[in-house]
Amino acid sequence: MSALLELDRISKSFSRGGLLSTQRIDAVKEVSFALQVDKPEIFTVIGESGSGKSTLARMILGIHAPSSGQIRLAGRDVAAYERQAFMAEVQPIFQNPFEAFNPLKQLDRYLFMTAERFGGASGRQAAETQTDEALRQVGLSLAEIAGRFPHELSGGQLQRVAIARALVAKPRLIVADEPVSMVDASLRMSIVNLFGRLRDDLGLSIVYITHDLATAYYISDRLVIMQKGVVVEEGPARAVLSTPTHPYSRQLRDAVLTPDSAGAFRVTHSAKAIATPGASS
Amino acid sequence: MSGAADQAPVLEVRDLQAHFRTRYFGVNREVRAVDGVSFDVRRNEIYGLAGESSSGKTTLVKTIAGLLKPPLEMVGGSARFSFLPEWDAIGRAPQEVVRRIRWRHLSYIMQGSMNVLNPLRRIRYSFRDFAWRHLGGGKAEFDARAAAHLERVKLDPSVLAAYPHELSGGMRQRVTIALATICKPEFIIADEPTTALDVVVQKDVLGMIRTIQREMGSSMLFITHDMGVHAALTDRLGIMYAGRLVEDGETAEIFAEPLHPYTRHLIASLPRIGDIKQREGLEGTPPSLAAPPPGCRFHPRCPLAMPVCATTVPAMIATMPGHRVACHAVNPGIAA
Repeated sequence: MSALLELDRISKSFSRGGLLSTQRIDAVKEVSFALQVDKPEIFTVIGESGSGKSTLARMILGIHAPSSGQIRLAGRDVAAYERQAFMAEVQPIFQNPFEAFNPLKQLDRYLFMTAERFGGASGRQAAETQTDEALRQVGLSLAEIAGRFPHELSGGQLQRVAIARALVAKPRLIVADEPVSMVDASLRMSIVNLFGRLRDDLGLSIVYITHDLATAYYISDRLVIMQKGVVVEEGPARAVLSTPTHPYSRQLRDAVLTPDSAGAFRVTHSAKAIATPGASS
Repeated sequence: MSGAADQAPVLEVRDLQAHFRTRYFGVNREVRAVDGVSFDVRRNEIYGLAGESSSGKTTLVKTIAGLLKPPLEMVGGSARFSFLPEWDAIGRAPQEVVRRIRWRHLSYIMQGSMNVLNPLRRIRYSFRDFAWRHLGGGKAEFDARAAAHLERVKLDPSVLAAYPHELSGGMRQRVTIALATICKPEFIIADEPTTALDVVVQKDVLGMIRTIQREMGSSMLFITHDMGVHAALTDRLGIMYAGRLVEDGETAEIFAEPLHPYTRHLIASLPRIGDIKQREGLEGTPPSLAAPPPGCRFHPRCPLAMPVCATTVPAMIATMPGHRVACHAVNPGIAA
């Protein structure tokens, strides 16, 4: 089996402060995992804010270079790729579709541009065909989107356009950073189901970054749980979330509020540690 | 649960209408963000409001709190508080009355309120700005009181000397909860107070809100789109869709037996750990409030839609004691 994406003990640290008071912050520490070519899957990265999951996404996308370690796509170092060739293989989807698109630019322009630059379409005709094909995969069509501006669509539709834009390039891997946290409840499941279909029908691998354990359980195949830049637990998604072993994973799981947690706060709470400034809480 | 003596409502909202009105170049545009909403909040209970973004939740509570700024206008109806019986809405009362009751009787934890603290002032001064005029007393006495109150939300008194940036998001959120509760108001409005926090901190903060609310016996109007939070925290729940209330009742009852098709979908679509059943999103898009569909606003997306739904607005009817729903399929033939 050959690996599509391989992370080999990657770390990223940022430095903060002035010349004399430099502080190093380790955002990601020694993270390793691999996704196989012949086994498309949804690989979830779970963690709270500040756990380094977005930094990890940026490194996979080649936006940040890791401080140490190597990320390989199809056996080649990501840093060695030409940018355009790399983007044809790996495409991002971001959290907030309203911020991802320029409000003054028509949506189809993004799709055509992606088709011409990364999708290998030559000429307007080919770009339009490719765009329409991608939009149909997400349940839209070029006729609906042509000439529309971002404000004319709802959050759910816009996020689907963002997914279609990623698909136009015909990538092998999609990195989705919190793709459903800005989408309304009634539309959230249609986006999550769409990811499942992309995996099953198109054979795409998806790195799904989220803090929502319930959708991770619902859709993903494998996952890692990160805390302060370190992977604390990894394995098959359903097994890990059903019986988490690391104390942090258990804490995360127990904090999830579901419709079944009715009355969770009716009981009086035991005294907890008192927080002081400077301590992270 | 509330006893029989607690049944008198602290807040009575009747047919409340609030619209955004703009007039540019002779073109009038009216967005009916809140359109005929009625409900009660009783003493010592947490009433939850659920609904997706742009369903009018925030506009509704802003109108109730009297925070009306153009283009938002209160067009009709009333929202009467038991501590202000002489006015039928705070927005209609004069400024000095509003100033007297704000924080003392009614406090408002706004969306993203962890960012409302002045970054250049220590927490101590924020407390003085907000609450000193209501509580009175000497400076040292007031600071001691603030410190004691901070301990209630599990914060060290040294937080008073800190600047907001020295505190984490969860701690700042607890400071705003402390600010909103120090005067022991009868009514607290909380608009998505935990949405920006991660799950572990959120659970902590919610438990704290519940404990403080019980200790003081205040009423609370709690808004979030997260149904899991509603299930865990609220006593009663109202579901909003496109500016109208479509269902309300005891939270446990709504989760056990949702009546409105929209509520049913909201609850059925929630994925749960340990359950791998296929869940579907709702087709279609939320309606534009500038040109809402006629009749029931949910009918274009509703699986149970009938011809009458497209023409007649369904009335909010109590199908069971304390459980109201506005739907023609549930209450056949009753128009608003």
